[in-house]
Amino acid sequence: MNRSPERISMEELDLLCERRRTSGASIPAYVGPLRRHVEEGDTRLLRLQYDASPAALRLWSFLLTEEDRLHEARAAGAKIVGTMKDLGTVPVMAYALPNVVAFYPDGAWWTPCLMELSDGLFRIAQLFGFGEAFCPVRAMLGAFVNRAHFPIPDLLVCSAGAVCDDFSAIAQCVESLGHPILWWEMPHRRRPEPDEPAVELPGGFSAPASQVALVRSELERVRSALEALAGSPLGDAELAAAIAEANRVRRLLAELRRLAYTADPCPMPALEMLIAEMLAIHFCSDRAESIRVLADLLEEVRRRVKENRGVLAQDAARVFWVNPVADLRVMNLLEDCGGRLAGTEFLFSHALDLIPEDLPPMEALARMALADPMAGPSADRAARIERDARAFGAEAVLVSRIPGASHCALEGAVIARVVREELAIPVVEIEVPPVADAMMPTLRSQLEALVETVLERRKR
Amino acid sequence: MSVVYSSPFVPPEWVAAHGARPKRIRPDPGAAARATAPVAGMCPYARALTGEVQALHDGEVAVFTTTCDQMRRAAEWAALESPAPVFLMNVPATHGAPSAVRLYRDELHRLGRFLARRGASQPSPEKLADVMESYDERRRELRDALGLVATREASEAIAEFDLAGRLHAALARRSLPRGIPVAVVGGPLMRGDARVFDWIEEAGGSVVLDATESGTRTLPAPFDRRRLHDDPILELVDAYFGRLPDVFRRPDEALYAWLHRELASSGARAVVLWRYVWCDLWAASVARLRELADLPVLDLDVSGDAGSDRRTANRIQGFLEVLR
Repeated sequence: MNRSPERISMEELDLLCERRRTSGASIPAYVGPLRRHVEEGDTRLLRLQYDASPAALRLWSFLLTEEDRLHEARAAGAKIVGTMKDLGTVPVMAYALPNVVAFYPDGAWWTPCLMELSDGLFRIAQLFGFGEAFCPVRAMLGAFVNRAHFPIPDLLVCSAGAVCDDFSAIAQCVESLGHPILWWEMPHRRRPEPDEPAVELPGGFSAPASQVALVRSELERVRSALEALAGSPLGDAELAAAIAEANRVRRLLAELRRLAYTADPCPMPALEMLIAEMLAIHFCSDRAESIRVLADLLEEVRRRVKENRGVLAQDAARVFWVNPVADLRVMNLLEDCGGRLAGTEFLFSHALDLIPEDLPPMEALARMALADPMAGPSADRAARIERDARAFGAEAVLVSRIPGASHCALEGAVIARVVREELAIPVVEIEVPPVADAMMPTLRSQLEALVETVLERRKR
Repeated sequence: MSVVYSSPFVPPEWVAAHGARPKRIRPDPGAAARATAPVAGMCPYARALTGEVQALHDGEVAVFTTTCDQMRRAAEWAALESPAPVFLMNVPATHGAPSAVRLYRDELHRLGRFLARRGASQPSPEKLADVMESYDERRRELRDALGLVATREASEAIAEFDLAGRLHAALARRSLPRGIPVAVVGGPLMRGDARVFDWIEEAGGSVVLDATESGTRTLPAPFDRRRLHDDPILELVDAYFGRLPDVFRRPDEALYAWLHRELASSGARAVVLWRYVWCDLWAASVARLRELADLPVLDLDVSGDAGSDRRTANRIQGFLEVLR
């Protein structure tokens, strides 16, 4: 039933879906044509290109049915936790409890893209003073107000401190509208001083032991709130089991990334890889199914690698991508211009690194939380990017600035500086709004120039 | 050794007790020109401070705080570009939990070690208490003086106190202007920005409350003398971290409670919000401020360049004309 690896339109993906259904293949109930989501307003789907595989169809269906899943969970009596900003830590804890589902309201930042601004979320945010000078995550505020997307969580948890100012301000506005938030402190991660006890974090950063202890004590407050919500204790044994499950997701992703970012020809398109990586942060509201979805995708990639088949031409320019894009279509554009992904850093590398299983669970989670690339110096983040870009054999680094984000201006400059100095490869910065159609010619020119530069350098 | 900083969450008493000279500065907007940091997307205030720090000399160190994303990243840039040592002090955003208080206190000690490594002396509790008492006394004199002078003079007196730790000369008492009572709320002022108070008065207003980060909002309350001697660090932590209301705190209810109280007692009939472009925290406060104050609010997005002064003055004039 698999087509040759290629990128196809939504209509073609829906045909593939139809053929699978009529063939009697065993497919999960949520898998269906993407057309149904277009009819609900996700019109951007019409303009994207997709991987032509049942595994990709499953991935997309899983992603696009998340709000339904949350509403069903609410109807079934589950408690819903809205976890904000930390990108990967609190959900591991929440899924350790029975009958608790966690998700990121932050994820609403893609709604204006998917609905090509017909959702009106930015208009609502504007009413509260959050206009275009703010990051697209302001859509989250609109979703809290119009209640047309995710269910209002039973508990809201948000990290504060070393986080983006725009997100913090938007979350504060959410609270002022009558949605109480449990704020927990994420200190600015710093390098240990001489003679100061230090701890190595997942991903290779190090931090003072005192900072890990602080985060641990903050996560204990979160643990207490989760226990109160669930009405049952959240013991270390349950947390350890949840960490092991989270690591199953992370191991699958590690192998998927290794193959997708190194094999030539490229076995999986950039867009599907972005979506797959996103599953790590809260499992798209169903941890067990996210493991199956990723296993499917990995199997497809392994098969292609074994058969030496790919979705792109051999020798496409190898680009390391920094930051998630507000407009998903730009991931397609990279490939249209002759590029391919050779590594990513979508702001949540700490959600991809394995959580230590040989430590007390709260200690392990604290170390993971503190490894958040956004919590530390930009130079740390740049060093990680440099290391990963080298490991994946990237020939260029693309920094995708998030419009309005408080960190992007300086962070992008530091990353560009470190990468140029250490790797001596081209770096380009682009800025991608939620619907980038008007900027596509400019973006295309930038990406084509980057690809041409890479190809020219190969001739030296 | 001089310690250059701009955040109200760095207690000058702590620096002085280490034998160093605290210099809380209002950065010169012109210093932004020598900052090598990117222009687009960067707060003009953070950029100007970075420029100031890039020009520091031997015997000077800089202290930044993590009170906003822009400043913590500006600190990193300054450390890359400045010949002077740069210390980034972690000021927690959350409050109320013992862990946040502990973090702030630990950061004071870390700052102390940073200074000690550069030749400063670690103070005894008695020494710290003495320095705090001395500051408290001088700050009382400052507060007494502020009530007698117009807002621009008051603002400049605070700036002088922040820079030098005292007032050089008695402030001349002058008749206060009578106009539409206006409160100025928002972020910090740069050097020379106190002229905004003149613009308001020239346009027929009378500034009755300076609630900028450079104004009375960030003057610590008098110390409790008994606690000061029992545990001076605890009292210092409480006076600064425990009580200063600011826009970065989570939750931020203390700021709005303070504003609610002060706006009412000042009799302000309008609010001018002073915020820098790219400052998300104050930009986000506009709508809430309007709702809380139930007063007309002029949202002044300040870019810090001299060319925009005329525009700012015109906007103030237009705002006050409407209010007359």
